Amino acid sequence: MRRGDAEHQQADWVGIHERICQMLVTIRSPTLLSLQQAGCIQSQLVKAELIEMCRLVAQSKLSEGKHQEALPAAQFCLRCSKDVHGPRSVQMVPAYLLLAEANMGMGNLAWAAELLSQAEWAALKSSDHAVHQRLHRCLGRLHTATGNLEAALFNFANDIYFASEEYGLDSTVTRGGYFLMANVYAKLGGLPIVRSLYSEVAQTWHCHLTKLLDTHVQNVQSPDTGLEPYDEAQRVELDKMLRTMLEFEQNDSRKDSAQIALVAHCLAMLWFLAGDSLKALGFGNTALQASQLIPNHDLTEPIQGLLQLLHTVC
Amino acid sequence: MNSAVKQRQHSGPFLPEIPSKNNNKGRKSTQHSRRKQQKEFLPPGSDKSAEVLSKAEISLFRNSLKQNICVELLQEGFHRSFSELFLLLRSDQQRRAEEEFESDELPLEQQWDKLETLRRYLSRAEQAENTCSWTLVCDQRLFLAQFFSSPEDGWLCSYFYHSCADRERGGRSRPATEARACLAEVYLQLGDLQAARQQADQCLQQAGDEGWVDSSGRPLRLRALRALSSVYSRLADAPLEAEDHSEALRLLHRGHSIATESEDKKLEFDALLRLGLAYQSAGDHDTAKQLFNTCMQICGSLHDAEGLGKSYKAMSKSIESEGNTQKTLECLEKLVDICRDNGLKRNLADAFLCLGNTYFTMREYSRASEFFLQGYEVSCELGDVALLQKAQVLVGTSRARSLFGKFSADVESCSPAALKRLISWKETRGRQEVGSDSTGSDAASAWC
Repeated sequence: MRRGDAEHQQADWVGIHERICQMLVTIRSPTLLSLQQAGCIQSQLVKAELIEMCRLVAQSKLSEGKHQEALPAAQFCLRCSKDVHGPRSVQMVPAYLLLAEANMGMGNLAWAAELLSQAEWAALKSSDHAVHQRLHRCLGRLHTATGNLEAALFNFANDIYFASEEYGLDSTVTRGGYFLMANVYAKLGGLPIVRSLYSEVAQTWHCHLTKLLDTHVQNVQSPDTGLEPYDEAQRVELDKMLRTMLEFEQNDSRKDSAQIALVAHCLAMLWFLAGDSLKALGFGNTALQASQLIPNHDLTEPIQGLLQLLHTVC
Repeated sequence: MNSAVKQRQHSGPFLPEIPSKNNNKGRKSTQHSRRKQQKEFLPPGSDKSAEVLSKAEISLFRNSLKQNICVELLQEGFHRSFSELFLLLRSDQQRRAEEEFESDELPLEQQWDKLETLRRYLSRAEQAENTCSWTLVCDQRLFLAQFFSSPEDGWLCSYFYHSCADRERGGRSRPATEARACLAEVYLQLGDLQAARQQADQCLQQAGDEGWVDSSGRPLRLRALRALSSVYSRLADAPLEAEDHSEALRLLHRGHSIATESEDKKLEFDALLRLGLAYQSAGDHDTAKQLFNTCMQICGSLHDAEGLGKSYKAMSKSIESEGNTQKTLECLEKLVDICRDNGLKRNLADAFLCLGNTYFTMREYSRASEFFLQGYEVSCELGDVALLQKAQVLVGTSRARSLFGKFSADVESCSPAALKRLISWKETRGRQEVGSDSTGSDAASAWC
């Protein structure tokens, strides 16, 4: 029990407290100033800042898969949001979603479901596409975890619809929905749909990463703007997604070399941008082997270009 | 309570319907019918849904039609259809935003029947694509193109014809070839002759000797030939206008030979007539006359009186240009007979005026005025004011001319009889009505 407490405390500390401790002091300890109106406004501002910080921390912990550590930040985010916006407001939705996701990750599905229905209630009157998109994605994840696959498909379909409205058909957010939907179809045994959904996801990311790589190479030649395209959390998430797709293709009976080359090339570019040449080299070689199986494949040249770039770095 | 229920059933809805101008009502009712449709499709065992609505069912009411259709497509795994539909709805929005005048037509995303048809056929096409049944894919797209046949959906119509015809796989199938024939006709209507020619040529090439027919049983090859022949005829308009006769004749000859190949006699007639008229304007009346003769033969076999009339009129013009008045008159009289026998009133009026004109140029003014008058009468029956006024002017001119000679002779002669005629004419003039002069005025009748 003691050990558990210590773990909990540790999670709390690395999760959020080390960052917000100082700010808490200002809003928790009443001073003469804080009781006046000006002080009230200031403490509201601090709270708003706190909400944003907790949201970011919780999000990145979730992306890294550290659900336990995400929990305190998400909880605090919810509490602050409630203070600032009131328990029924639309602004509560992101906080509910974060907490639900953290709980889902830890296996507390019933509690996650409870939180999500609160979020649904709060989002009811909102016409904000982004809010509905995130809500449906969370619900889809929950239904996937509970095995209610039909409901999951319904939610991911809505997720994709709202994402397309908000960010566009080809955005990476929309493709995230495609990936999640594909995973549900994989469980339902709809392999052709999985293949075609994965191929859409891979194409969009390939396009995106190629652009990032181009700007990166240009910036190296004129090193003024040190551009960091992805933070750690996003990279972890993307890496996981691309690996899932690569594994699927490699284990698939069809062995679609073009698709393998595409996904492996994505991974190679991702790790090159992250500065891990060794991993990039590994995926680059996989991509090259796959693309060479197809005569005159479009990708062979860019893959070889990347490998050359890697050899000069190494 | 039972009686109350009964009464309600009889008197329709309890509250009167409130007509509303905004589109919300339409949208709701379409969603309602959609839900009803869904229920009809439910298997008989699933009565449970009638008691407790599922989340998905509730969302059918709450969400927009567009969202419901999109979600349905995605849920069933038709993500390519979803993307296509989504982009089409976007371009509909853009198209409407760019339009200067607000149209009465609802946005595409609010029209249930159109969205539902799109959903159904796009998903069928995608399913066929997944099983590599390329012809089936094209069939669905061709259906969609033909479904959007009303003028305000023209953009969707050509979009789907193109999406059928321009496919990498299945682009040489029967439906894709039919789409090309349709595109040729669409472009012809739009006046984009080059595009029409390209489509018709490609359709011909693909149809080859396959013996394909379209949805209504017409051979595709002949449809393409027809479109192509019209394209060449219309391409000749510009050189004809610029009096570049050799180029115009080249194009029209091409059009004619294609028309002959098309086995469509009416089309062949049209091409021949245009060719004849082109020779006429180039001054080659012999060739023109030969062609008009062939035109008459074709019309005879087709029992096409109107075509026959056109041929005779064209023929008379050529004969007249050669200066053979007698033959011109014969030809025009024949034309009058044809028009009268077949009840072609407009052509009859026209024929009378032509005949009048010919007599007029022969300086036989009273004969001319007779025919102009007949032309006037027919145009009165037609109620065509423009034609009627033209005829009036002609009658007036010819009658004035016919009186003029005798009038001046009387003025010059100074005999008492002549003076008397002049005075009597002067007194009655102005009270005469057109058409009643033969009985109205002694003087005028004496001159005539």
